[in-house]
Amino acid sequence: MKRSPYSILQIVLAVLTGFGLGLAYSWLLSPVTYVDANPALLRADFKDQYRIAIAAAYAANQDLTRANARLNLLGDADPVAELSAQAQRMLAAGEPFDKARPLAQLATDLQQGFVSEPFTSTPIPTFNTPEGIVASPTETNIPASSEEATFTPQPTVFFEQTPLTPLSQETVAPRPTFTPTPGPGAPFTLVEREDICDPALSRVMQFLLMDSRRTQVPGVEIVVTWNQGEDRFFTGFKPELGNGYADFVMEADTVYNIRIVTGGAFVSDISAPTCSDPNGADYPGGILLTFQQP
Amino acid sequence: MSASKIVTILIALILGAGLGLAYGWVVDPVEFTDVTPDLLREDYRVDFVLMTAEAYQNDFDSNAAAKRLALLGSQPPASYVASAIEYAGLNAFTPDEMRALQSLLTAMQTHQPDANPNP
Repeated sequence: MKRSPYSILQIVLAVLTGFGLGLAYSWLLSPVTYVDANPALLRADFKDQYRIAIAAAYAANQDLTRANARLNLLGDADPVAELSAQAQRMLAAGEPFDKARPLAQLATDLQQGFVSEPFTSTPIPTFNTPEGIVASPTETNIPASSEEATFTPQPTVFFEQTPLTPLSQETVAPRPTFTPTPGPGAPFTLVEREDICDPALSRVMQFLLMDSRRTQVPGVEIVVTWNQGEDRFFTGFKPELGNGYADFVMEADTVYNIRIVTGGAFVSDISAPTCSDPNGADYPGGILLTFQQP
Repeated sequence: MSASKIVTILIALILGAGLGLAYGWVVDPVEFTDVTPDLLREDYRVDFVLMTAEAYQNDFDSNAAAKRLALLGSQPPASYVASAIEYAGLNAFTPDEMRALQSLLTAMQTHQPDANPNP
């Protein structure tokens, strides 16, 4: 049987029409529905909430490995950078630092590879649930009378009293002199100010905040004021540059005042230094301010 | 148009539709990239509840916990915790994790949402 080109064209058109209808049905009317999605597919704002939950859980259990595994579920190319960026977005949106801090802390700890804050266990409130028994969420466990704990009296301890003999000559040892040691809230003082003549760091005001043992300190608020405004930021949001690092871009010919909120250190009259490139042309340089607790 | 021609065209149409469905459902299905947490697989949802429970152990902020659990859907927060406890019981969660979930369940069962939320 030989078909005419016209009938072949009809068949092809019919196949294509059917294909189009099938595609429209499968893509538009009844697409594949995901009911078992993974966190990497979450919408961006839900991913943010997921990161906040991860950081909050990490703040509680200090389990860096688990936090890292949970972050990896989100499929971010650079989880640390995402955490830092989200913390900065939250601060920029006016959210309190306490909400952004767990994110920054987790980013810092992931960057350095260990838990920076010692875990202080919070006592878990008990609800008189017997050890090893987990209450079913749908039923109430009422202990039978035979299962009630029996009271066992503590053994009584007797002490034999030794008569005190008064000392004839009492020697009073001098008490040790109390030497105050600076705590986490001790004031930062400017220990070094360095002009940076590097075109890549032109107009960049860099901060480095360290404690008395020269360990960089994250989460310290810095306030920069100038005649037309004010900016506030925190150390530790660029952990790749250091936990105690922060920076600010200056305008040329503008004088800035710096205040470290923790401890109230104040440094005035900071401005971009004038540097010269190899051709002799001037450009505004950068500055590095190093603060340290005593 | 003869009957045999109509049948041929119908068969071609059905064949094309079948190919279209196969392409749209199997070869190149619609990819969802912006899903909501209620579509998460059960183990991920349970882990989210566990994270909420761990955070609650630290701050005892039942409001924050309830808001986090509300991301999972429109059911009462306690129901998500109850489901998580059932899952945890079947999957050998540690006693600490079970205690944290139990504590969160108690908190969510007694939680009263803010009567006067911020406007």
